[in-house]
Amino acid sequence: MNGIHDLGGMHGLGPVLREDNEPVFHADWERRAFGLFASTFVFAGYSVDEFRHAIEKIPPAHYLDSTYYEHWMFAFEETLIKRGFVTRDELDARMAQLRAGEH
Amino acid sequence: MLLTADIVPVVVATGASARVAAEVAPQFKVGDSVRLRNHNPVTHTRLPGYLRGKMGVIEQDWGVFAFPDTHAHGLGEKPQHCYSVRFSAREVWGPTAAAPDTLRVDVFDDYMEAA
Repeated sequence: MNGIHDLGGMHGLGPVLREDNEPVFHADWERRAFGLFASTFVFAGYSVDEFRHAIEKIPPAHYLDSTYYEHWMFAFEETLIKRGFVTRDELDARMAQLRAGEH
Repeated sequence: MLLTADIVPVVVATGASARVAAEVAPQFKVGDSVRLRNHNPVTHTRLPGYLRGKMGVIEQDWGVFAFPDTHAHGLGEKPQHCYSVRFSAREVWGPTAAAPDTLRVDVFDDYMEAA
């Protein structure tokens, strides 16, 4: 797929920013996102290739404007909806709850 | 199947490796010259666009892996060899690239033809 993910050789994106003593996770939710891969990969039975393709389907502008683990979250939603483990409506309802401060 | 505590170390250590335990003959051997196909699927591929049509040399054979282009879409593992292929920077980026520079990219059998 000739998508925005295939950045090799593109000009104008600026330097790769290096971070001294970069932590493995930049926020606690990233730690949980990492754990989600191992658990959903096993029970949903998808492949790493299917997961990567899901990341490629992020709308291009959003892809460039979001972080590594945000890409993973998009791929979890895409893959688990496709396989029927959760619906878009269920996700939207849960997001609305969280936004309203309900846990 | 659920992720249970006993299998977590294996999953984390292997990173969900796509290596396949299948006997598949390699199409190329170390030292062979190859040309990368003009491969443009609208579906998943691990061939970076900047390598289409470029010439390289097989540097190392990593063994047999699931082919991402089919595996990503539930079309089977189509197990095949994946190699480290060496390209000169000038082959990839043209005459303004530094002459001594090279790059190595992992490339599957199906992305290449003999050159």
